[in-house]
Amino acid sequence: METQIIFILFGSFLLLLLIGAPITVALGVSTLISFIVLEDNPIKFVQIAFTSVGSFPLMALPAFILAGALMESAGLSRRLINVAESFAGPFTGGMSAAAVVACLFFGAISGSGPATTAAVGMLMIPAMIERGYSKGYSSAITASAGGLGIVIPPSIPLIIFGIAALGMPPPPAAVEAHGTFQTVSIPKLFIAGFVPAFLIAGSLLVMNYILAKKNNYKGTSEGWSARLIWCELYRGFWALMAPVVILGGIYSGFFTPTEAAIVAIFYTLVVGTFIYREMSWEKLFTALETTTWLTGRVLLIMFTATVFGRLLVENEIPAVIAQGMLSFTDNIYLIWTLVIFFLLFVGMFMETLATILILVPVMLPVAYSMGIDPIHFGVVMICTLGIGFQTPPLGENLFIASGISKISIEEISLKALPFAFINTVAIFVIAFFPEISLWLPRFFGY
Amino acid sequence: MSKFWKIADNIESYICRTLLAIFVCLLFLQVVVRTLFSFSFSWIEELSVYMFVWFVFFGASYAAKMGAHNRVTFQFKFLPPGAIKYIEAFADLFWLAFNVVFVYLAIDFIFNKMNKFQSSQTLGFHLSWVYIVLPIAFTLMTIRILQVNYKKIVLKEDMRDPDAIDLDAIKAETDATKN
Repeated sequence: METQIIFILFGSFLLLLLIGAPITVALGVSTLISFIVLEDNPIKFVQIAFTSVGSFPLMALPAFILAGALMESAGLSRRLINVAESFAGPFTGGMSAAAVVACLFFGAISGSGPATTAAVGMLMIPAMIERGYSKGYSSAITASAGGLGIVIPPSIPLIIFGIAALGMPPPPAAVEAHGTFQTVSIPKLFIAGFVPAFLIAGSLLVMNYILAKKNNYKGTSEGWSARLIWCELYRGFWALMAPVVILGGIYSGFFTPTEAAIVAIFYTLVVGTFIYREMSWEKLFTALETTTWLTGRVLLIMFTATVFGRLLVENEIPAVIAQGMLSFTDNIYLIWTLVIFFLLFVGMFMETLATILILVPVMLPVAYSMGIDPIHFGVVMICTLGIGFQTPPLGENLFIASGISKISIEEISLKALPFAFINTVAIFVIAFFPEISLWLPRFFGY
Repeated sequence: MSKFWKIADNIESYICRTLLAIFVCLLFLQVVVRTLFSFSFSWIEELSVYMFVWFVFFGASYAAKMGAHNRVTFQFKFLPPGAIKYIEAFADLFWLAFNVVFVYLAIDFIFNKMNKFQSSQTLGFHLSWVYIVLPIAFTLMTIRILQVNYKKIVLKEDMRDPDAIDLDAIKAETDATKN
């Protein structure tokens, strides 16, 4: 019966995806079919539609999307890019390093890889070309760094992972074998993601330095312009304070993530209206509308993915997968390798948030039964999915970068290969050494 | 009459923007009151979660109207562009069927299966007032799916991909601030 249900559930799911049904429909319909086959009562759908979405921590999602949209239209994000650009200075590869840092800042706020590539690339790619960087290189580094933002807290994928993981308590067998696991919470994930995010950014910067040295991309000869840096810091002060308010509030335990996002919304409205004076009613309405369809789309998947996950767990399908994996190998490093390559592959074809919602119910119980810490697993999962933005065939960042620099996608993806490689190495390091993700939350007493 | 249709065409957007603005303000009020007076309204959290549920499902219907629900499209790369919309319309039949079943289940649940005493903890009203959004929003979504496919197949309109980034607009903005 179990194998038959696996076949029906995953078979109809993949078939529906193949004929181009929306991901949420593929999940919902395949689950409904399985319910009918199992003669289970589908009234659960209605209750789950309400309970999966009606949770207070989940409200952090629209709040952060709205805060990000407002920060963009109020001019906060652009000022952050300018600050990063002013630091380019006399270093070898300084300009491209500044582009990476700008992506880090901007991505943390917008949470969207392609939007980060577009906003940063529009300013930095021409600036790099002006300083003698090749078009292909400038596009490749921006496209590669554009995906960083989804890892940096406050990160929307981490929120989605946290909510999905909250509904997946560790199976009793796993607790018996590996002791109790720590509970998942969004603030904990945000703190855990901090060091890995900088490790990945650092790996990009190292690769950038090596390649810039090889290609002889020198900095300006005038050296630092203290005046320029001071000027941009002054103009960007209120924008720089935004992450401080959000992350400081969450890390100190003063705000929940939802509250921090709400405060960020009003902070942005005040700064955008009275200090930067770029806010308008029209921009506010556009931001509200963008938040509406982005949230509606993701959380409809949340609903169907929750019923899908519930069905999996009730039929103990993750246990079957875990057994299959364990009979193949019980070497944790080999298992991590398989997981990372699988995530890299899926990340190439499917939208990030949908991927998280579908794979958490399948993979997290498996991770538990391997004794993997859920927080650590979440961080590795999000970092790995971030790479999907910079790899063909669906790397949206590549398309955006190619649209800006007018260079073919093939050339950019070729130039982006070293960066994808070093990122993957960084992810393996993060996966093999759990302490990189876990010591900071412990240090903060979570 | 045309004004009526214009409002009807964007009804979810109006509802959602209002709900979003209200629950964001309510939560802000809660944060301010808690920080300044270390006091909290017990009803704010519950009410805002209910408004959020309404916001999500109307938002999902609005996303359907914009054709924003993600599909995996890589396998269509080698097909002629004209054929794709027919395949997707066929796939949407499953979506319609799912919605019809779901609306039936939701109505059945609300009017026949719900416990008479299942009420909101702090506000006192019966929870069917929250659940009622499910049949309404999924019916609206069904209409939107038909509307989108009618536009694509009969009127042969090109739907704008809501995820597409308008590079020209960003370029204009970047240039404007540089000077």
